[in-house]
Amino acid sequence: MNVFHGAVLGTVLQVMIQILKDMGITEYEPRVINQMLEFTYRYVTTIIEDAKIYATHAKKSTVDADDIKLAIQCRMDQSFTSPPPRDFLLEVARQKNQTPLPLIKPYCGPRLPPDRYCLTAPNYRLKSIQKKVSSAGRISVPRLSVGAVSSRPTTPTLGTPSAAKAGAPVSLTGQRFTVQIPPSSQTTVSKSTTPSTPAVSNVLINPSLIGSKNILITTNMVSQSAATDSLKRKHEDDDDYDTL
Amino acid sequence: MAAVQGGMVDEKEEVDIKTEPQSDGFVNTNATDGRQLSPSPGSSSSAGSSKTAAGAPEDQQTLLAVLQFLRKNKLTESVEILRREAGLPEDALDSKGVDCGAPGSGGSAGGVDGLDAGSLLSRVTVSSSAGTPAPTKAVADDQPDVSVVLSAYSQQGDPALYKVYYSDLKKFIESVLDCHRAELSQVFYPLFVHMYLELVYNNHESEAKAFFQKFSGDQECYYEDDLRVLSSLTKKEHMRGNETLLDFRTSKFVLRISRDSYQLLKRHLQERQNNQIWNIIQEHLYIDIFDGMPRSKSQIDAMSGSLAGEAKREANKAKVYYGLLKEPEIELPLDDEDEEAENEEGKPKKKKPKKDSMGSKSKKQDPNAPSQNRIPLPELKDSDKLDKIMYMKEATKRIRLGPENLPSICFYTFLNAYQGLTAVDFTDDSSLIAGGFADSTVRVWSVTPKKLRKVKSAADLNLIDKESDDVLERIMDEKTASESKVLYGHSGPVYGISFSPDRNYLLSSSEDGTVRLWSLLTFTCLVGYKGHNYPVWDTQFSPYGYYFVSGGHDRVARLWATDHYQPLRIFAGHLADVTCTRFHPNSNYVATGSSDRTIRLWDVLTGNCVRIFTGHKGPIHTLAFSPNGKFLASGATDGRVLLWDIGHGLMVSELKGHTDTIYALRFSRDGEILASGSMDNTVRLWNAAKAFDDLETDDFTAATGHIHLQDNSPELLLGTYMSKSTPVIHLHFTRRNLLLAAGSYAA
Repeated sequence: MNVFHGAVLGTVLQVMIQILKDMGITEYEPRVINQMLEFTYRYVTTIIEDAKIYATHAKKSTVDADDIKLAIQCRMDQSFTSPPPRDFLLEVARQKNQTPLPLIKPYCGPRLPPDRYCLTAPNYRLKSIQKKVSSAGRISVPRLSVGAVSSRPTTPTLGTPSAAKAGAPVSLTGQRFTVQIPPSSQTTVSKSTTPSTPAVSNVLINPSLIGSKNILITTNMVSQSAATDSLKRKHEDDDDYDTL
Repeated sequence: MAAVQGGMVDEKEEVDIKTEPQSDGFVNTNATDGRQLSPSPGSSSSAGSSKTAAGAPEDQQTLLAVLQFLRKNKLTESVEILRREAGLPEDALDSKGVDCGAPGSGGSAGGVDGLDAGSLLSRVTVSSSAGTPAPTKAVADDQPDVSVVLSAYSQQGDPALYKVYYSDLKKFIESVLDCHRAELSQVFYPLFVHMYLELVYNNHESEAKAFFQKFSGDQECYYEDDLRVLSSLTKKEHMRGNETLLDFRTSKFVLRISRDSYQLLKRHLQERQNNQIWNIIQEHLYIDIFDGMPRSKSQIDAMSGSLAGEAKREANKAKVYYGLLKEPEIELPLDDEDEEAENEEGKPKKKKPKKDSMGSKSKKQDPNAPSQNRIPLPELKDSDKLDKIMYMKEATKRIRLGPENLPSICFYTFLNAYQGLTAVDFTDDSSLIAGGFADSTVRVWSVTPKKLRKVKSAADLNLIDKESDDVLERIMDEKTASESKVLYGHSGPVYGISFSPDRNYLLSSSEDGTVRLWSLLTFTCLVGYKGHNYPVWDTQFSPYGYYFVSGGHDRVARLWATDHYQPLRIFAGHLADVTCTRFHPNSNYVATGSSDRTIRLWDVLTGNCVRIFTGHKGPIHTLAFSPNGKFLASGATDGRVLLWDIGHGLMVSELKGHTDTIYALRFSRDGEILASGSMDNTVRLWNAAKAFDDLETDDFTAATGHIHLQDNSPELLLGTYMSKSTPVIHLHFTRRNLLLAAGSYAA
């Protein structure tokens, strides 16, 4: 039963109001009590469910106090964590404060951490499409599917890269598929070798293909290195890595 | 003592062993129950000095207890070595060993040294089943649980007698001379809390509740909030998650008592059987004794109120370089536009005094100023130099404020801020205003008619003429011009916001535990600094840029640099959340205000706490340094503004008047006027110059920390300005001393 029984609700409501009074809170919006009730309900059900799992794991027929205690303890460590204790903080602080302040390099442009700690990288990658040579009739123009790259390393593309490379029409099965655009460099679509921004060239988007979720789009760069330099901030190599 | 092996040194901290700061980090393996008894470094070394009377016999008892322990653990070699080195007679060990069966309830030993081996051992060897009464516990001392040894509350007294002890002490203190009574009454609160917590920890719930009910009403009114929290804490499990209380248990509550009063108290407690109280005092209280007149109630009240008592005198003795850094020499270019400045242009020599009024007076090094390279600071770029020139020009047009010449106040009211305005900041030249909201957005507005523009995309930037004079305008994309911009990125309410001095960056700190750096050229997020894993309540850029400080719920403040993804310094020491962080004008020090009602001043170079200011009776929400760097003003939920002298580490004055939490404090550009804004919808102006003029700090005051606060708040109050039901959450003086205030209209 996922519903608080009416009578129970009434008493729990009284308890909430009493708690607020005990803690000295006199002014509060009326919705606060509803939120407290919701929280209580969710918390208690979570604990009891966990306790049931522990009881069955211990091959007990009924849930008893120990199971509840264990459930509470595990939840506490998970969601209701508290900040680290003082002695730990003092020790960490002591260690951290021993290192001298680093010198500041002059004339540096924007002083930001190494690229991978910044949020300045694009969170999408464009893939190139192969110019459609001769389609089997399904697709006539070079078309590109737009999609989102969720994370790196890339999730595997299903089967289609080779098909795409050959320029054959790609089936719209709703699976991940990629298309490549010329020019020359035929880097495979799914590799994330270059973590830099590829330049977009000759991208056509066919809206009819958008909608399928797992579609990758990448584009090859005209000249890989040139684009890399122009779009990445100029840094010495060691700046890309932590200098600790 | 050093001869004792087996790691016993770390555990015996209540004894006169000097603990290294390393021992603070001695992580207890049994983390759930036990807590390291780790007083703040320095306190234990001086703790020994406060227990002067019981010194030698106490040592002896402790040695015997240690021997006993070693023997039980069959560390026979260590036993031999210790016995040899400590010069203990052979039989002393055995006779005391028998005694260890004596009930731990204090008082059985009596005599001068309240700590006989029995009670000490019972402290040491309480088993983890804390419910059993003391005598059986002493018998079960063959199973010392390491975690319990280290826990602060293993001392067992008869729970029913706690009330008796406390009332006895109350009666005694009420009977002493008036002059001592105020000082000795300071003991009540920490004693009450520790006794209550001890009862709770040892699972005497009903006794704890009765104890609380009987005596909580006697405590000072400003401890009311703490007592309320305590009243809801009735079981041992409740204590586990409450970091603040755990810190309270393990750190020592500091009391400043004159020698005479202290002698009185000690004599009384040692005469009677109330060794329980004496034990608690020795374990949990640090009594900073000074020679001199006992303090009056008002003096004590002014300084007390914090969660850890007052500040020890040694804590405020370090040298603080509160002077300002020298302004760099900048060649003023000839300016066609500004005719007024032309007179000065032709005579650069004459310009210097004007410039010096902003910086240090003389060319010589101010002895109170830090050296230029004490901490590395970013060099001045050309754009910074232009900014400085603008600043100096504006400064010449600045209005001189004073009691007869009050500033005009311009209030920026955020209407329809249903998102919940939680933080506001202005740029130094007052051209931009940023607001942080509870819906996790940050919005930036332009105060001047000039609109906000984004920088063009990379492709377009290639096309512009880089050599033209107005390249800085050309890089801006006109299509993106708008009055305001919204910055999305946080996943929790934004509680702190700060512009960089060069107006290129904006920092925001949020409940999601991150501090984000936004670019004001592209209006995108550049970096997310993760370190606090708990809400970050405040953040601020250093006055020179590059560094910033943040403070949050994890009770520490962190110093970051924009190009390091990890903090450079961690300022740990507060017992409760750090609610407010401010840089000193010379960027060498950081002040943090906290929910534990203290303000600490930290040295950026070493990370040490150089000043502790107590006196507020509520969590501190705002701090402001005076422009000359000598003074600090703080505002808290108790509605008072306190002024502190940083050099001496003393309270200068208290400004009463506000009736609700003060969320905004700002000194005028010359430091003449202090403006405070509060939840009671008013802005009040105070005569800061007068408050600092009347300073008389003789050696006596500095040595003992006695302060004589004049009750002249009404004279110092220059004006109260009410807004239409808009709490004031931010104040800013423009470069010409116009006061800007910001708040969100609360219908």
